Amino acid sequence: MDAQETTATCRDAFAELASPTCIQDPYPFMRWLREHDPVHRAPSGPFLLSRHADICWVLEATGDAFRGPAPGELARDFPRAATSLSLNLLASTLAMKDPPTHTRLRRLISRDFTIRQIDNLRPGIARIVAARLDGMAPALERGEAVDLHRQFALPLPVLVFAELFGIPQEDMFGLATGIGAILEGLSPQASDARLAVADATSASVKAYFGDLIQRKRTDPRPDIVTMLVGAHDDDADTLSDTELISMLWGMLLGGFATTAAAIDHAVLAMLAYPEQLHWLQGDAVGVKAFVEEVLRCEAPAMFSSIPRIAQRDIELAGVVIPKNADVRVLIASGNRDPEAFPDPDRFEPARFYGTSPGMSTDEKIMLSFGHGIHFCLGAQLARVQLAESVPRIQERFPTLALAEQPTREPSAFLRTFRALPVRLHAKGG
Amino acid sequence: MHVVVDQDLCGTTGQCVLTLPGTFRQREPDGVAEVCVARVPPALHAAVRLAASQCPVAAIQVIESDAGDDERASAELAPSPAEAERHAANDQRNPGGHDGTV
Repeated sequence: MDAQETTATCRDAFAELASPTCIQDPYPFMRWLREHDPVHRAPSGPFLLSRHADICWVLEATGDAFRGPAPGELARDFPRAATSLSLNLLASTLAMKDPPTHTRLRRLISRDFTIRQIDNLRPGIARIVAARLDGMAPALERGEAVDLHRQFALPLPVLVFAELFGIPQEDMFGLATGIGAILEGLSPQASDARLAVADATSASVKAYFGDLIQRKRTDPRPDIVTMLVGAHDDDADTLSDTELISMLWGMLLGGFATTAAAIDHAVLAMLAYPEQLHWLQGDAVGVKAFVEEVLRCEAPAMFSSIPRIAQRDIELAGVVIPKNADVRVLIASGNRDPEAFPDPDRFEPARFYGTSPGMSTDEKIMLSFGHGIHFCLGAQLARVQLAESVPRIQERFPTLALAEQPTREPSAFLRTFRALPVRLHAKGG
Repeated sequence: MHVVVDQDLCGTTGQCVLTLPGTFRQREPDGVAEVCVARVPPALHAAVRLAASQCPVAAIQVIESDAGDDERASAELAPSPAEAERHAANDQRNPGGHDGTV
């Protein structure tokens, strides 16, 4: 379907988002959806909401007007839900749970994600950033192209997670390699073949965690895995075996690709808008404004991956969403809704200057970390990684330029990269 | 003005702590938000209302009805929350100012 046809009608927004046109630039289509079909229903059943106000309402009403899927309901979207290991693990993650189970599980882990705990990680993150930039410098200075995605954006969250989880760096790189395959297998559009690859990868991740749990039991360390193993061993009602594995698996799924994509997009914004670089050259308030605007313009997870099930018939913009329907929200579109963010396609960090993180000066919510009970557990961790890296990249390599066009992952759901080749721009001395 | 966090509802996102680090904190064992002031100084009224409206799970409740509260600080053009908090701290260190209610 090309742009001309989409102006008339759209049969399946999920399929359209997976088209090559949308992989390149999904925002014209999202604008069309907001203006013509803001409460879209795909032929396969799920609804997709694209207006900021509707998205906020659904996210706030999660746990109330909307619930997570019941065990049988995943099978509507994923016919192989009963037999797929990845889908079984997904069904046990935090994001799929409702209160009070959700509250119990989230509080076990939120201890390690408090604002203070994440702030304590800042010096370690700054050290990793400095080491990775040092590692890239010789090749760049020789005039060579370097893949910033593979050499920096992806390794940073991987190395941070290796410290948090207390596992060897090379093991975490091995796990990270498989995460992309698992994420693709979980997309609503995924083929059986992709799901099979995801399941094989999930099986090896699960086996690794099984061994890791044993190691942490005999050799406890001050890390997240040891803490969760302790909670499980104290009282399996507090944290079951399945929940423990799903929790670890879910943190990897949520934490790598998304953070890397945000760093990639921040670098692209630096290169595309040199007139906005002053935000990165001053104090932390300016850096925060730049980072929040990057997150608003390019939500790494474009729509909600988990079903929200309507508890009753709900009328929205003249459309009735029937009870038990699966509702997804297109947060990347909400972030570009002119009703919330005037002139939404313009990159303008001033929208977030001097505000609390995630809030615009007009008090509108930047949706990339979600909202409501499933608000991203790792939001602050991601923000600190961005704040500690983006100004350093700019400072260290002020003549950075694209070596060739970046390669995007062909995903309808994640706006991520496969490669981001950069080099230093020769500036006569 | 008083402010309370519904600790059953709290989503442990830390948003309130980022907005007003002197007014809210997160409990060590589970990240649940707590209020660390008995009474909200007038200079922070607008900022606390903002923090309440921004809580992702609407767990913050503002109780406005303190007799004798100075409502001047809730004017339309409020300073940024963190700035207001610094000013409020200064006010408390300088009790001779005109904003005190006692």
